[in-house]
Amino acid sequence: MFWLAEGLVYRRQESIIHSLDPRVKLIISFSLFILSLFSSTIFEFIILLSAIFLLGVLSKVLRRMIKTITFSLTFVIMIFVINLLVGYDLIFSIVISLRFIAIISSSSIFFLTSSPDELDLVMRSLHLPYDLIFAFVTAVRFVPVILLDAIQIIDSQRSRGLEIEKGNIFKRIRNYIPILIPLIVQSIIRSEELAEAMESRAYGFSKKRTSYYTLHFKMKDYLILCLHLMLVVLFILLVYFLHL
Amino acid sequence: METLTEIIRFINFSFSYSGSNSPILKNINLLIEEGDFVLLVGPSGCGKSTLLRCINGLIPHLYNGVYEGEVIVDGEPVKNKSVNELATKVGFVFQNPENQIFMFSVEKDIVFGLENIGLDKTEIDDRLSWVLRALDIEHLRYKPPYELSDGQKQRVAIAGVLAMKPKILILDEPTSLLDPRTALEFISLLKELNRKFGLTIIAVEHRIDLLTNVANRMVVMDKGEIVFNGCLKDVIENKNLNLHGVNVPPVIALQNYLRNEGFIFDAFYLNVKEFSKEIKRRLLEID
Repeated sequence: MFWLAEGLVYRRQESIIHSLDPRVKLIISFSLFILSLFSSTIFEFIILLSAIFLLGVLSKVLRRMIKTITFSLTFVIMIFVINLLVGYDLIFSIVISLRFIAIISSSSIFFLTSSPDELDLVMRSLHLPYDLIFAFVTAVRFVPVILLDAIQIIDSQRSRGLEIEKGNIFKRIRNYIPILIPLIVQSIIRSEELAEAMESRAYGFSKKRTSYYTLHFKMKDYLILCLHLMLVVLFILLVYFLHL
Repeated sequence: METLTEIIRFINFSFSYSGSNSPILKNINLLIEEGDFVLLVGPSGCGKSTLLRCINGLIPHLYNGVYEGEVIVDGEPVKNKSVNELATKVGFVFQNPENQIFMFSVEKDIVFGLENIGLDKTEIDDRLSWVLRALDIEHLRYKPPYELSDGQKQRVAIAGVLAMKPKILILDEPTSLLDPRTALEFISLLKELNRKFGLTIIAVEHRIDLLTNVANRMVVMDKGEIVFNGCLKDVIENKNLNLHGVNVPPVIALQNYLRNEGFIFDAFYLNVKEFSKEIKRRLLEID
């Protein structure tokens, strides 16, 4: 699981891409994702992947992106071998494997360069129901808190003599029960307190909830968005109409 | 003399949680006036927290149970208003500040409540800068909650509540997670809010000595009933206080002990400084 986290967890950094409006980042990431789904030749993937890696360089997250890809290589090889075994030819198997890499790396562009805070703003600008946004925000907000809870519970169970890393695989899974149960109970209590505090802060007071934060496109955002869309159109023209 | 107006009134109030046989609150009659600073004490499980939750409407709106009598806040029965409507009148600060900060930054968390009540951008701007200044947390404005200390978190929790401009501030054991020095700082902040903005404050606190110089009223509860209620000085002098599980501050206990031994003091001294001054004067007299 950790290889996935490495490529999806945001860290505070500064770069041209980081400073863009999160909606632009979402469009860039999503359009590359869609293009990777529909591309079908090695040539197309070379262009797509070099575009993705160029973005990785510009946003200074290339190393973490590559880390994610290297960790996912097991899957890539598995996909490649299975395709070969089932009877597809070599080229097709390579294309499928490259597609997997392109999908993972293109979607990680957005998550690596946008804070959860920006994600919140994007969801607001899409006019999603606030209940949904709030659920997302609190879920992310309480991840470190619950992680600390878990560490505390593991420590206290260990001090009572629980040996987590002992026994065969089934025994080891069972060893986690005395950690999971208190953790779940504690989280339920926490959520009750959260509900009380939310009510006391007028959550759901009026249907017309105002939003203090609004996103504004800057000159830079327009420029980069235009440039990106032009490149996408160019790519589609070259590949689908001129059959390069 | 300024006229005092009633802000909270409990009339023959009883409450029991559904599923429990015995009432947690029994026949409560209590009047709190605007600008009061009430210290609420009593052993654990005596119903303090339940009493507080009756003021901001969490009871009966979030908890089920048998509700008898009436609780009136700012002229209107709590029963007829929802919790989120009451939120603009009653601010509630819970014990654990961690569970009251929902957002990724201090600013966003304070704004959360203001967006809920549908204020526009300029009004939110005004209140935000006011509350950040009033609680002296301007430097924390863009910090995420996990970078704050416990004392800072407690301040942010109050800021979020105070930005709603309530008339009443309720604090349920606000200093239980704070170290002694931060706790003292925190109490003097409460004092300022009470004196400067005329905020009515009700605080549950086990360390009574923290609040003896700040609160003007004291309510003692035991087994769901109010056993003492009145001016802080009168209540704290009572010798039977420790029978109700109240942790009497040492300086008060010492005076009680000396009185029992036959010493006579003209006044009751609430803090060590004043009392030691008196003892020093007496000792010099003997010489």
